[in-house]
Amino acid sequence: MEKYLRAGSSFVRRQYGPHLLLTLLFCMMSGFFLSFRNLGPDQAAKVMEMYGAFTGILLLTPLFLPEQNREIWLLKESKETPLWKLYLIRLFLAIIFLAVVITLFLQRMKQGGSQFEWKELWIGSFCEIFFLGSIGFFVSGITNQIILGYMTAVIYFMVNIGGAKYLGKFALFQMVKGTYDFIIFMFPAALLFVAGGILLREKIYGA
Amino acid sequence: MLGTLFRKECKQILKSMVYYIYVVVFVIFLSSQLRGDLTDHMERPLPDQENYGTVNSHEPEAVMGKTLAELVMETNRNSYATYPMGFYRGVTLNEQEMSEMISIIQNCTGKTWEALLEEMEEHFLQYDQSTIEGAMQAQSSYTVPVKSALSYQEFCENMEKVCEIIGSGSSYQKGSLEAGIGVPMTYEQAVEEFETLCEKDRVTGAVSRLFSDYAGIVLSVLPIFLGVTRCLRDKRAQVSQVVFAHEASAWEIIGSRYLANVFMAFLPVLLTAFVMQVPYQYHARTIGVTPDALAFLKYNLIWLLPEIMIVLAVSFFITELTENVISIFIQVFWAMASLMSSYTLVGGFSLKLILRWNTFGATREFWLQRQQLFLNRMFYFGLAVALILLTMAVYEKKRREGETLYGKIFKGRQ
Repeated sequence: MEKYLRAGSSFVRRQYGPHLLLTLLFCMMSGFFLSFRNLGPDQAAKVMEMYGAFTGILLLTPLFLPEQNREIWLLKESKETPLWKLYLIRLFLAIIFLAVVITLFLQRMKQGGSQFEWKELWIGSFCEIFFLGSIGFFVSGITNQIILGYMTAVIYFMVNIGGAKYLGKFALFQMVKGTYDFIIFMFPAALLFVAGGILLREKIYGA
Repeated sequence: MLGTLFRKECKQILKSMVYYIYVVVFVIFLSSQLRGDLTDHMERPLPDQENYGTVNSHEPEAVMGKTLAELVMETNRNSYATYPMGFYRGVTLNEQEMSEMISIIQNCTGKTWEALLEEMEEHFLQYDQSTIEGAMQAQSSYTVPVKSALSYQEFCENMEKVCEIIGSGSSYQKGSLEAGIGVPMTYEQAVEEFETLCEKDRVTGAVSRLFSDYAGIVLSVLPIFLGVTRCLRDKRAQVSQVVFAHEASAWEIIGSRYLANVFMAFLPVLLTAFVMQVPYQYHARTIGVTPDALAFLKYNLIWLLPEIMIVLAVSFFITELTENVISIFIQVFWAMASLMSSYTLVGGFSLKLILRWNTFGATREFWLQRQQLFLNRMFYFGLAVALILLTMAVYEKKRREGETLYGKIFKGRQ
């Protein structure tokens, strides 16, 4: 257990720190762009879907960052702890941070007198943001190019602005319309993306 | 040397997966947005038509009437659309703020709030709201006249109070009021509009403008990834020191990289624009208009090339300076803010990165605003050149010192 804690804290200190700081900055700046006061359920959902969604990209896409350097990758592969375990530790950390960010956003809206169903919006936001982030995670994992991960996730977000109708249950911005049945499709898809990202990465690049 | 490096850079870009995604996404986006039936209903207007569309007006009476209509509708919903820093921010008022708002409306109209709601309901009942056309007609023809004793100056003062309540970035701000509003077109105006479209735009001009509108949205984001990928490639391949030692100057290295990226990013844009406007050249001839065969080139060079240049220049500068991917977040944010900050989807260029003209035609209005567009694009062209010169200076400094500008602290820790 201690070994895994060390691996996690080393990742945060050496590579993940700037990304966490950026996410923190992104959350702190939200007050300049968004209103958290007196929102209805659809407006609260809009805050999470149009703004909060970016935190998924920020937190989940850079998880393969250290191994972009092939030498570091080979070094880590020579160690006793398998790489997939390291990836899972990082993923676990990112998901915790994601949950914290979503809780903070919702809490701020509640404090501003907004009316919405807490549990429903929390779960919906988590699934949607996790799904968007998992796209970046998957692509950066199988291509070993973090930029491609960001690019795909950002393009997916933009496609949803005008072309959500083509994406069916995997379309973003459904909570604004009061629809939450996407959760049962999006959450398994997100799990599939993260599992597929790790497995395919190991298969393609593993020694 | 510059020519050789430029060719090498172009070949490098052709090996990059990011570039192929750029091309595919661009082409799919444009072909899905720009339908092939733009000119299908392009006919000379007839005197007895029910509706001729809308035209932009700066008449104080019209501006006040439409602005108040919007204010009444938003107050009725208790949801006000504002764009303080570009992003949509829906504002909902509490009871006290709401009563202040209602008193401002009553002060402007000289009518009670209940009477205004009744009038609004009566107006919308006259139209078939179940069809898009009916709903749009109801919306465009709804106005709330101000009381006769109210001057435009007093009206603006009242709108300032509205802005104080709901915050900045609303459509009641001075800038938004000055941009004018859409009012129903008369038959004479519709004929004049049609003739201007045929004479000045010669059909293909209007098509190219709409193409530029859609293309501008994706081009505010996609080139970022090309720029960041290029700037981080040396670091990733661990050849930064080798390139630093190259005999070519910073001007030649960064200049060739930048020009190659601009060229390769612009090429698919130009080709797609050319292919997409060809059918409209044929259609223009069938209705007796000689098309402007080079319209796509003019619009691409003036509207889209400076946008590609500035997006790439900013990504080059930030990435060379920081040696990480932070430029992606800054620029995606900038693009989203620019996209969502538009008061109108037709014009109002000011210094926005993404210029909107989301309509086929409105040629007279475009000719009025053309100067603003030129100034906007000249500004970004100049800024792009300045940023690339700065990038060269940053690169030269790193090259001389063999380090990043700030990287020694971080490197010492590893």
